[in-house]
Amino acid sequence: MSYTIPMGPYHPGLEEPYKLDLVCEDETVIDAKLHVGFNFRGIEHLAETRNHVQVIALMERVCGICSNIHTLSLCQSMEGILEIAPPPRALYIRVIMAELERLHSHVLWAGVAGKLMGFKTMFMRCFALREKVMDVLEAISGNRVNYSMNRIGGVNRDIADPSAVLAMIEALEKEMVHTIIPVFTTSTTALSRCAGIGVLTQEQAISYGVVGPTARASGVPQDIRRAAPYAAYADLEFDVPVETGGDVRARLLVRALEIMQSCRILHQALAKLPSGPIHAEGSDESDIAFPTGTATSRVEAPRGEVMYSVSWEEDSDNPSRVHVRTPTYANMPAIRAMVIGAQLAETPLIQASIDPCYSCTDR
Amino acid sequence: MNTLDTIPEKLGVTDAWVEKGRVHWLPCDGLKVRDLAKTMAALHARFITITATELPEGEEIRMEYHWDLDGQLLGFPFLVSNKQIESIYDLCEAANWIEREIHEYYAVDFIGREYELLFLRQGDKPGVNLREEDE
Repeated sequence: MSYTIPMGPYHPGLEEPYKLDLVCEDETVIDAKLHVGFNFRGIEHLAETRNHVQVIALMERVCGICSNIHTLSLCQSMEGILEIAPPPRALYIRVIMAELERLHSHVLWAGVAGKLMGFKTMFMRCFALREKVMDVLEAISGNRVNYSMNRIGGVNRDIADPSAVLAMIEALEKEMVHTIIPVFTTSTTALSRCAGIGVLTQEQAISYGVVGPTARASGVPQDIRRAAPYAAYADLEFDVPVETGGDVRARLLVRALEIMQSCRILHQALAKLPSGPIHAEGSDESDIAFPTGTATSRVEAPRGEVMYSVSWEEDSDNPSRVHVRTPTYANMPAIRAMVIGAQLAETPLIQASIDPCYSCTDR
Repeated sequence: MNTLDTIPEKLGVTDAWVEKGRVHWLPCDGLKVRDLAKTMAALHARFITITATELPEGEEIRMEYHWDLDGQLLGFPFLVSNKQIESIYDLCEAANWIEREIHEYYAVDFIGREYELLFLRQGDKPGVNLREEDE
């Protein structure tokens, strides 16, 4: 006989409000229904009431973790309509901010995963490490969450001292190589909670259209930085880690390896940071006049592909449409496939393994 | 001939791709959205999203269907005049949530599917059109 266990919208195993109705037989999950929208904010609609400066500040608040990625994608879309090309230094600074954001997001996720595994020492270790990344983001942008770095035609602030960022990256790499990755990949605690749990097959990953580390952990080698390079990614060497296990461990491994690749990208970007202006001529607030048009932009956020589609009517102060497809919006429905057949006690970690962002989903 | 060039013929579309802003657009006059979804599935293209836009001074809604084919972003625009269009959810599982969202945001009926209530947790009925309510 089956019974339904509601998990959420407020639950100790969830970081933010969404709801899983788990249909179980004994302790085994046989089906699940997902419910989102509890904190739906109507941001896309609100964007239609904001001008080209205000809309950047608004869309930065879609997400509290990958806030920079949202403004990057939005600005790329608006630059597409205006046919403005940011200068090379701005493109490199955009890469540096995006990779620092990926680092802090992935390290935060590792901490949350540690906590859900009952591995609280690792939680503390990861969050201490994340603080260092956030310190660097603060040193560059003046802010720890919403960085306000992107603007139409480039970035708002320069990186005056690239060597200070390099020192942090080296410390982070050392900690990852010597502590975090070995513990997550070899400790009995981590392996027993992750290996063979919450499997999403490659076929299911393609069917659900999942993106980012969730897709790459199921053997789908897609990464927008490689497939459709933006900013300065075409100039930089990096690998796209792919695992085929499709389980929680594979998702953990992909993120751990991506941290190392982000460090590799940061080393190169900081070393090659071109001189020159940080925003394009003619991109100041008073110079902007939108023609009628639509532009679409995609970037690889820490959780996967983000897509912005922006439309504007000539002589209008505000966009006529801003549509955002966030990575969690694509990934979250696949949780159903991951939890079917799992033990009830495994479901908090399984749902967390996609690194869900409810804030992005309830944009 | 690369895969992209074969798509108009597979779909029976005489127009050619128009590349604009890193998107390959294919005009879809007369094309059925379910035929498009079947073709994209056969090509193993990855569904991304549907962007719905309420056009000014009229009842029409522009629906842009997006797929990724080997890193290329494809766009297929459809004009919906009576707020009805066929659902592709049964052909493309990834379209489920965005169809539900557009149904609640713009009151578009995706023919051939049922809806779970409520996706956006806003309002007290399906088909809530937030834009019109706000105006």
